[in-house]
Order: sequence, then C-alpha cells, then structure tokens
Amino acid sequence: MSTNTTSHPSSTGMGLRYSGAWLPAAIAAAGFLALPFGRPGRPFLTIDPDLYAWAIGHPLLWFVLVGALAALVISLLKLPTAPRGDLLIGAGTVGLGAGVLWFLLTATPFGMGALVAFAGLALVIGHALSESGRVQGDAFIATSILVVSLFVLLFIIYPLFMVMRSAVVVDGAFDLSQFRRTITHPLFFFLENPRSQIDEVGLTMRWGVVVGLVSAAWALFRRRSLPLVLARLVLGGIVGLVIGAMMYGRGALPTSLLTVAIVAPACTLLGLAFALLGQRSSFRPVRRSLDVISVLPIITPPFILAFAMIFLLGRRGIITHGLFDLSVNWIYGIPGVAIAQILAFTPIAYLLLRGSIASLNPALEEAAQTLGAGPWTTLKTITWPLVRPGLAAAFLLSMIESLADFGNPIILGGDRNFLATEVYLSLTGRYNPNEAASYGVVLLALVLLAFFVQRWWLGGGSFVTVTGKPSSGALAPIPRAVEVALTAVLLVWTVFVAALYASIVVGSFAQLWGVNYTFTIRHYQDFMRAGWPVFLYTARVAAISAVPAMLLGFLVAYLVSRHRFWGRRFVEFGSLLSFATPGTVMGVAYIFAFNTGPWLLTASATIIILALVFRNMPVAIRAAVAGLAQIDPSLEEASTMLRARSFTTLRRVLFPLLVNTLVTGLIFAFVSAMTAVSQVIFLVSPGNQLATVLLLGWVEQGQLGRAAAMGTILIVSMLLTILVVLALAQRISARVVRVES
Amino acid sequence: MDNATTVIKGITPATVDLRGLVKRFGKDVVAVDHVDLFIERGELLTLLGPSGCGKTTILRLIAGLERPTEGQILIDDDDVSRLPAYLRDITMVFQSYALFPHMNVFENVAYGVRVANRPKEEIQERVAEALAMVGLQDFAQRATNALSGGQQQRVALARALVIRPRVLLFDEPLSNLDAKLRKRVREDIRELQQRLGITSVYVTHDQEEALAISDRVVVMHEGVIEQIGSPHDLYTRPASRFVADFIGSANFIPGQFDGQVIDVLGYRRRHEQDITPGAVTVMVRPEALEFAREGESGFEATYLSSAYLGPVTEFIFDVSGVEVFATISGSGISNAERGDTVLLRFKDVGVSLLPPG
Repeated sequence: MSTNTTSHPSSTGMGLRYSGAWLPAAIAAAGFLALPFGRPGRPFLTIDPDLYAWAIGHPLLWFVLVGALAALVISLLKLPTAPRGDLLIGAGTVGLGAGVLWFLLTATPFGMGALVAFAGLALVIGHALSESGRVQGDAFIATSILVVSLFVLLFIIYPLFMVMRSAVVVDGAFDLSQFRRTITHPLFFFLENPRSQIDEVGLTMRWGVVVGLVSAAWALFRRRSLPLVLARLVLGGIVGLVIGAMMYGRGALPTSLLTVAIVAPACTLLGLAFALLGQRSSFRPVRRSLDVISVLPIITPPFILAFAMIFLLGRRGIITHGLFDLSVNWIYGIPGVAIAQILAFTPIAYLLLRGSIASLNPALEEAAQTLGAGPWTTLKTITWPLVRPGLAAAFLLSMIESLADFGNPIILGGDRNFLATEVYLSLTGRYNPNEAASYGVVLLALVLLAFFVQRWWLGGGSFVTVTGKPSSGALAPIPRAVEVALTAVLLVWTVFVAALYASIVVGSFAQLWGVNYTFTIRHYQDFMRAGWPVFLYTARVAAISAVPAMLLGFLVAYLVSRHRFWGRRFVEFGSLLSFATPGTVMGVAYIFAFNTGPWLLTASATIIILALVFRNMPVAIRAAVAGLAQIDPSLEEASTMLRARSFTTLRRVLFPLLVNTLVTGLIFAFVSAMTAVSQVIFLVSPGNQLATVLLLGWVEQGQLGRAAAMGTILIVSMLLTILVVLALAQRISARVVRVES
Repeated sequence: MDNATTVIKGITPATVDLRGLVKRFGKDVVAVDHVDLFIERGELLTLLGPSGCGKTTILRLIAGLERPTEGQILIDDDDVSRLPAYLRDITMVFQSYALFPHMNVFENVAYGVRVANRPKEEIQERVAEALAMVGLQDFAQRATNALSGGQQQRVALARALVIRPRVLLFDEPLSNLDAKLRKRVREDIRELQQRLGITSVYVTHDQEEALAISDRVVVMHEGVIEQIGSPHDLYTRPASRFVADFIGSANFIPGQFDGQVIDVLGYRRRHEQDITPGAVTVMVRPEALEFAREGESGFEATYLSSAYLGPVTEFIFDVSGVEVFATISGSGISNAERGDTVLLRFKDVGVSLLPPG
C-alpha cells in the first residue's frame, strides 16, 4: 500500500487539478512493459524473455496496458474531480479485469510484471473510488478497503472454498462418493467391533434409553407440559446415543468429540478457578504466579507439553518408571491427549475469564453484602450470573482449540486417530487429497458450528472486546474453604507444569532419558548441526510475516471500527473465519489453492509467510481494536478537518498513541509464527523447513534429546523476545507520555 | 483575548449553500430531511434544536465527515458534495476539543500547517499569530492536559484558525465548560468571529447560547427546518408551537383574531400580524402577562399557586382549562388563595399568533 503524502496533488480552491492516480497508473504501465508478465516456474525473479507481455502478444493483455495508459491520461486531464474519478474507475477496472481474465484462461503463473501492474491498477481504482466520492474517505482508505477485501477473498475465502470443492469434486466432476466413502470408513467412525467382548451397539442403545428417560423424568418432576416432556425424552435419547457412541465407538469422529467433552469443561473450570484466584486471592504470590501462567501458551509450541509428558509419564517416564517402576502406555491415547490439551488450553480459558472477572463491578457485590448476603449467596446470586457469558466463551474456545489441535494428538494419539491428524495423514500418508479435504470439511463444519453458536448465543458484536476497567472498591473475598481448595488445585497444576518444563531442560542435558542421566551437551551439538540453520530460517520467516500481519491487522481493525463501507461485514467475516478455521484445514486449503495455475506458490517461503500472516492477523486485529476503543474518534476527525489525509492521521495521531499496542501485537504475531505448527506442516518443503515441524519430526523419530535441546532454545528465546520487546515498548510509550507532561 | 489585535491574513470567507440535503442512516432513519439553507458570507449561523434533530449531521455533512444521501452542498460556487473532507477549506471545533494528547499546545496548533508541508519559519509565524489571537502566546510549550477547559477550548480554536479556513464549524463547543466560563468563551468566540469576518456555522442545543451569539438561528426538529430568523424574530414571532416552546417558554391560549384585534375570553387587544383571521392560538411569553389595574380590561384567570423569587414572582393560573405560567415583577397579589379569580392582560411585546391547534 503506497501512500500519497509525498505527492500531494495540489488543490485549487476546491477539488483536485489532477488526479493522484497518475503515479500508480504510470507505475502500472512501466511494470507491464519492463518486467515479465508470467514466470516459467516457482522462482519469482527469473526473467524469461518469452513471458514478457509483448512476447506473449495475447489481445487481452494489451487491455492491461490500455487501461493503465488511459488512466494516466485521464488523471492529468482538466476535469471536475468526481466525474474524472468515475472515468478512472472504468479505466482501472478494464485493465485489472483483462489481466485477471488472461490468467484464468491460460493458468500461467503470474510474474513480477503482473504483480506491479495489478498493484498499480488497484491503487488507481482506490484513488478513483475516493475522488469520485463512491467511497467515503481518501485514496488511502479506498485503496486499503479494496486491498483488504481482495486479500480476504484470495487468502481466506478462496482456499476454504477450494477445500470444500476438493471434497466433492473428483477429477473435475461433482462426485459425492469419495466424501461418502470417507465418512463411512472405519477410520472416521465405527461402532460394533466384532473382535471385542462387549456389545457396543447394545451399550450405546442403553445409554440412549437411560439418558432419555432421566431427562424426561426431570421434566416431569419440574411439572412441564406433556409435549415438552416428550421433547425432552427424544432430545435426551439423542444425547445419550451420542455419549454412548463417543464412549464405545472408534474412529476419528468419536475420538475427537470425546476428547473435546473432557477437555472443554476441564479447561473452563480450571480457568475459572485461576481467574477467581488471580483477581481475588488474599495471597499475593498466588496472583503473581498466575501472570506467568497466562504467558506460557504464547511462548510454547502447542505440543511441547505432550512431548514433556513422555519424559514424565511415558514408558521410561521419571514418575511412572522411576518412581513407581511401571512401564505403562496409558498416556498414548485419549487420556494423554486430554491431559496435554488441558495443560495447554487452560491458560487461554483463564485469559478470557480473567477479563470477565476483572470487569465485575465490586460495588455490585458490596451492595449484595450490605443487603445481608453472605459470601456464598453473593457468589451464587451476583457473581455467577455475571460471569456466565465469559464461561460460555471460554468453553467454546476450548472446544475449538481442542478440535483443531494437531500437535498433541500426533505425539500422544497412539492407536487412536483424531480428525485434525487424519487431515494430515490422509494427505501425506495415504496421499488421498479428496479424503483429506473431506476430513477438513467435517472438522471445519464442527468448529464453525461451535464458533457461530457462541457468537449467536452471546450476541457478540464485532471484534470489540470488553475492556472493563476495574472500578474502585474492595473485592469480595472468596469463601475461605473455596480459596484453599482452589489454591491447592493451582499448586498441583503449577508443580506439574513446572516439572514438565524442567524435564525438557533436564532432558536436553541427559545422555539418554530414562536410561542414562549423565550430563552431556551432545544434544546441543546435534541441534547446532541439524537444527540451528532451520531455527534461524524460522526466525527470519516469522519476523518477515509478523510485520505485515500486524500492519494488516491494524488496518482491518481501523477500517472496521472507524469506517462504514460497503463490504465491511465481508472483511469482518473473513477475518473471523481465518481465526476460527483449524490450522490443519487452512494448511490443506493452501495446498489445494496455491498448487497450480496463476497461483503457483507451494514449496516456497512465500506461501509459508502468507499462511502465517493470515493466521496471525486476527490476533493483531483484536489488539488493535481494543487499543482503538480507547481513543476518541474525534481526534481523527479533527486531524481530517485540519486537512490531513488519513494516512497522515494514522502516522501522526493514531500511531503515536498506539505504539504500545502495536508493538505488543507485533511480538505476539512473531512469537505465534515461531511456534505455529498445524498449518505450516503442510507447507514446508526441502529448503523451507521450520523449527516446530522439525522438532515434531524429531519427537516422532524418538530423537528426544535433541528435540529437548531445540525445545529449550525455542522457549528461552521466545521468553527473552517477549521480555525485551515489552520493556522497549514501555520505554517508547513512556517517552510519548513525557511529551504530554 | 485582551491583547489580541492581530487579524489573520488570507482568510476569504465563503458562502455555503445547502440544496435539498437528505441524509439517511440505514434504511429507516432520516437524520436530515430535504434541507435548503443559504449561509451568507461572514455570518454566524446557529443550528439549534434538541438532540437527534439533525443539526450535528448537517454540520458533519458540510464538513465532509458524512456523505449526503441526496442533495448538494455548494461552497461559493463549487459543488463539494462528493469532495473528501480534507479538500474542502473548512474546519471544525469539536465538542471534546479533540486536542491531540501526545502533542503540546504549539504542536497541536501547528498540526494543520505541518501536514501541509509548509516551511519551518512559516509554521512558527502562523502558530504564534494564531496563539496571540486567542491570548495564549505564553502557553506554547505547555501540555494540553495542564490547561483549564477554557484554555483548551481556545487552543482548539487557534488550531482551527491557523489553516485559514473559508468556513468554520463549531460542534457544541461550550458544552464541556461550566456555566460561568461558558458565557465568557461564547463572547470571545463571537468577538473573534466578527473581527475575522469568517463564515461560521455553530451547533448547539442551548437556546440562550444561540440567541446570544448568532446573526441568524435555524431551529430544527426531526430533520426538518422549523424556522430561520434573527434571534429577535424567533423570540417575538415564532412560526410554530415547537419554536415558541423551544426558545424561551410560552403559554398557548385559544382565541379569535379578526385581522386587527385579538379576542381572548372577551379581552380585546389590537395586534398586527400577517395571519389568517379566525380561530388562532395566542402565544404569550410568561413575562408578557401582567395584572389588569383598576379600570383596565382583561381576561379572567383562576389563581393556582405562586413562588416568590425576589425580583419576580412566578404564578400559575388556570385560564379556561389551560395552565398559564406568568413571571410578574413585584409581589403582586400577596394574599391570594387558591381558587381566587384575577384579571390578567397582555403587555405590548411578547404576544404572537399561531394557527389554531
């Protein structure tokens, strides 16, 4: 997105003497003529003389040049501003449309010339939309809206469309048989196991009958009307059947659902306990330790705890084997995955609930207490109803995270298969793209269902988070017994997590875990040889992706919260979609979308960066929306009224006021790019290997020592990054504040 | 603004012409409904009305912060309806002042010149000039949050004037000030506006402020202009019950008019007004009522209650079923009791006729 602060078209009284579109139009024409329009293969920078526009000589291509040159001429004509804008829209659209059409017809991978020409023409249209008055705002706003919408379309909607298409289109024809085969396959779901002793179908039926009857009895007890009782009977029966199927069935669907049914309630309850402690504990160290807990999931690759659990609870685990002399396998399967997920996602639930506990107005509780309510009654009648929406949000987010989780099941899944891992295994193991797409569609449907049920239920507006400032007043203490119990839970949790992290560090220095604990730096030497270049490459890719992720997130947040424009809902929806979509599904989607045709991008750093940008953009959006909510919009209007363009306003007014938010957003984008695995595992290629993917591979191969070394380095470096950059951000904002006083 | 003698060079005030202006939000909300309005060069025109009447929307339409659904906005002879805000040679003083919190007074005032990429000396000169004009020349290096509300307001004004706008817009600029300060700042604004001769549009919901400051006042109600006129015209000859009620307070008594004489319950009084003869509503200001002295004619009113306020006494009467409110100087009838009948008459000014109903 170029800006127009340097090339102010001078205005005479009112209106523009010439259009600001002349520069991008000239660049578009120059790019078209000077650079190759297509490219022969993957590399961008190869110049193939046959792929210059004039060498191709297709008539459609000349329209691109005609559009650009027409825009150049029109923008310099002496015309009233608005009609000239309309003409420019026409010229830009003709050029862009012709170029896109040519690519769609010939499926040639696009080259540098096309990139420059298209970017120029998009800028022309942006200027024109603004000058014609069709978009309220200046050229920067209009161009941003255009570009953001295009990005959402290309990098979020289009890949997801390709996944769904691949599930039902086989060899170019609509065909449901592949999809049907996938979801009837035992790997997906099967109930009656002829080789087992028990009668799975019968037991499931029994569950259905029992739950149905219990639910109907409860309705009768509450003296509901007869139709309602019958409805409860049917509904309870269905719930019972689902429970039975989850417990006795095998395959990815029941396994994933059962795990979710364990993980989501556990995470929510633990998150609530920690949030209560964090806000209300009478014991200061408890409150401080929770700050640390909330940072853990950010700096840790999602599966590192699963890996550490092998050290502690595995066959040669220090607890199971060392302490109790057992050699057990129980952590491989649903129990292990569930524990790992609970450990990984509780901090996320905690962060959500912390907000809703913190925004409780203590005055309400004080009011209840002055009216004679004891701590218990206050908790039950005031606190609980107020945190219920937060609980629902935490529950559904844990659900989504658990369903979408890839790393933990792949390490600890054992003989059970999960939906998220099947997406990966069917593509890379069985090489069946249709099957992968089918699993992806099922997973996507489940996650989006949960996601939109949550949004519908909570009636959540856009991204705008509640940033409740705790008002003054003493917080009601938690009842003594409850506080002791919760603190005990926290203590166990903390000790266990600390032991897991410690085991990784210890494991990285031990000769062979479980056998020989003598000190060695051998694993670090191995890591330096095999892992260091990959680590550096990952850091580079993550850093490159973080900047556009943050800028794009900020831009989307700014546009959505400060401007009304046609397509705003679409941009919002697209960003939500990229947030809710499981990483594995997005990874498969990128493979389907960018493997051929004009969009040949696979097996390159570009596609990894793009994937990371759009993966992490929603985090930046959230941060920026929260920051923008603190700033009075009339500051921006005042700037506009002083004749600053919106880009100048962003740079001189919003940016200095949001430095802190933006820097924080930037680190989070960087760190989560460093630790991402589920999406990029599809996109790595020889020469484009990423640290987390390599680490996962080492764990799978059983090279636990060097994996531990890499894990240690990853965690320590992420922690340092966060601490250093946060300190820097504080200093910068301190300087901004000093100007004020 | 005592020693403010400088006048900003280069301000050429413009006229503003609104033609058939409509603004809808969504499908149903009509904020501005076919408004036609011509604002003279150098005049201060106030848009007055209750909240939600569309006055601020009109201001934002002129500013370019909103786009009209229909209609045109002309500044001098240029149609700016589709022109973005930053090209309009208009600027605005905001209700919240909208001073940039990360800049000091100088930087705030300099902002408009700075983003126009003017040379350093010119920025210095123009900022000094604007600050002198509002009497804040010694405050340039202060932080804005270290200033009082009135001073912040003046910084906002200087910041607007520094870019030499052709039209200056005020969006309820005094509503964040306390009552005493409000009066002084409003006089300062008026004085400065007249000295610079800058075309100004001023939005407020405070009728006293509107009357005190304006050349002309536009009273708005539900997106429509109810009446345009000088403060004096609006007060003495309101065009509708809404205007009469909104500007000052008013009593509405049914009566008859034959073209020359009003008849209220047998009380006859000469009156000049261009209105269809027949049944009318007589609009009487509370201060236009007095007790009829011995031998004077009047109409009968039933005394209900009174409150002694020092210089005046406030009375409530019942005039054939209509509650009438009067402020009468002196103690008047000090020993009246509820239910007593008194004789009231109109003073020379403060009576106007409206269509019946």
